Amino acid sequence: MTGQTQAIPQSLRYAYFPGCVAQGACRELYQSTAALTTVLGIELVELKKATCCGSGTYKEDSQLLEDTVNARNIALAEGLNLPLLTHCSTCQGVIGHVDERLKEAKVKQPEYLGQVNEFLTQQGCSPYQGTTEVKHLLWALVGDYGLETLKAKVTRPLTGLNCAAFYGCYLLRAQKYLPFDDPHQPESMENLFRAVGASPVYYRGRTQCCGWPLSSYATEQAFQMAGGHLQEAIAQGADCLVTPCPLCHLNLDSRQPEIAKFLGQSLNIPILHLPQLVGLAVGIAPQALGLNRHVVKTRVFLEKLGL
Amino acid sequence: MQVNFKILRQSQNGAPRVQNYTLEVTPATTILDCLNRIKWEQDGTLAFRKNCRNTICGSCGMRINGRSALACKENIAGELGRLEKIREQSGEGETGGNVPEMTIAPLGNLPIIKDLIVDMQPFWDNLEAVEPYISTAGRAIPEREFLQSPEERAKLDQMGNCIMCGSCYSECNARAVNPEFVGPHALAKAHRAIADSRDNQLESRLEQYNDPKTGVWGCTRCYLCNEVCPMEVAPMDQIGKIKGEILARHDAQASRPIRHRKVLIDLVKQGGWIDERQFALRVVSNSFRDVKGLLSLAPVGLQVLRARKMPLTFDPSEGTAEVRSLIEAVQAHQADQKPS
Repeated sequence: MTGQTQAIPQSLRYAYFPGCVAQGACRELYQSTAALTTVLGIELVELKKATCCGSGTYKEDSQLLEDTVNARNIALAEGLNLPLLTHCSTCQGVIGHVDERLKEAKVKQPEYLGQVNEFLTQQGCSPYQGTTEVKHLLWALVGDYGLETLKAKVTRPLTGLNCAAFYGCYLLRAQKYLPFDDPHQPESMENLFRAVGASPVYYRGRTQCCGWPLSSYATEQAFQMAGGHLQEAIAQGADCLVTPCPLCHLNLDSRQPEIAKFLGQSLNIPILHLPQLVGLAVGIAPQALGLNRHVVKTRVFLEKLGL
Repeated sequence: MQVNFKILRQSQNGAPRVQNYTLEVTPATTILDCLNRIKWEQDGTLAFRKNCRNTICGSCGMRINGRSALACKENIAGELGRLEKIREQSGEGETGGNVPEMTIAPLGNLPIIKDLIVDMQPFWDNLEAVEPYISTAGRAIPEREFLQSPEERAKLDQMGNCIMCGSCYSECNARAVNPEFVGPHALAKAHRAIADSRDNQLESRLEQYNDPKTGVWGCTRCYLCNEVCPMEVAPMDQIGKIKGEILARHDAQASRPIRHRKVLIDLVKQGGWIDERQFALRVVSNSFRDVKGLLSLAPVGLQVLRARKMPLTFDPSEGTAEVRSLIEAVQAHQADQKPS
């Protein structure tokens, strides 16, 4: 037992759900979440037995499938007696909504919860109890950690940096109850920008769909959707977009050269993951945040910050 | 209390402009009553649709303070509460005695006729396209009456509550980029038709709604229709149920959107997490069968490689065996429930 672990209050320990994309094409998200939480003194216990939330696809097969697989994920966090932490809007919306549904079922439809738990116990998994919470890293920073505490940790204020949030649909609309935001006019990302010294850029696209769900089969429409948001953010003077969702990142960053070609217009706007932006402000080196692992190069952007 | 209304006004070919009106109102006044008073007391040229004043006819759909809603359902107190909360969340605090403002604009995704009146024709055409009627055989006059049990009828309630106000269509992100997509209102009605025990066109309907552009796969799951629907129809959920019926009838070879769903679940069974390299190859190139699809992956593949973003390894979840048997158990149970 180290002194450092003891110093972390229970409220800053989380059962960490990494999700697929942060372990795949967006490893820089995995890397930057780890780097940021270490500097902030937030302890993550990674759920090594967790599995994909389904990103809304299980539900199209059946609601029971979405509920059962995610009840298992939540029960893993319950086993540690810790809140489940996501760093992906989609994982948050899906697992958070399942948690809402099952907590409601516990009271109003116990036979349904019984059915879910029977599947779980038959397959040797712990049953869902409804004793924990599911929260996104954004909410953990804004709520549990607190923006005032965060401000005190800022060693490199991002003064003069214009940041355009891109929330991701599932963070705003999949759950019935949002802890901090109005689903049509959210402010938690913008508050976070202010806390690290940056200036928020408001534009309509920040609450809209990035187009990723369509990109495998309706690619042009996905490009048009993403392209419109990028153009709008640029027109409003954004230096970068910042997203709490790696799926949005995939469409907005990895496919940005194709989007630019589709629009016939150069875009070249860096897309940051939420912990990368905060990480820069608390003094973490860009490399350690994986900012060298983006399709849209971040060099010019970092030069603006004097890095 | 005094309230400022900032109303977006426009004639068919003119540029939009914001016009301000100030009213003395009580908190319980609906937005529709406010608009009526502006029209009757201040400016007879302001154009908007209205009829029942009671959340039944669906005429007064418009964008109120940034989202589509019914003017007769929302009132000053509710809007001020919402705006106050947003202000608090943004850390701006008190209004400092400023007169509160209501922003009113026409529905989106439809052409403007005048001010808050939009041309609903595309909306009605899209509805018609899904054939939202009980099939002809179902409509033949029976000897006694149309028999339906209370349980069968109850399956239609949620979709039946739709009042065709256009709020969902106005916000639909898919419709904004795909003019062929019929929209959430039409597909919610489509689900009503396939869920109706009297309809006998289930299979042909499912094939029609399976169209990759006009049908259910056009939905991008942005949740906006669910969020704004004033009648809790949850169109996106209804679209999801139609997808479920289609998925139960096809294998992964049927089309790319279907393969997208099937492969995702397969990969979870295989590794707990999605191996994105396999996902792209299996969905888009159909495991190298679709050469055009394979080539379409080249630009993003190269970009991702160059940026050193391409995952070179894949670590399966330690819970893979558990989740595989769990998914198989649930799917077996579902198959027993749905004889199709």
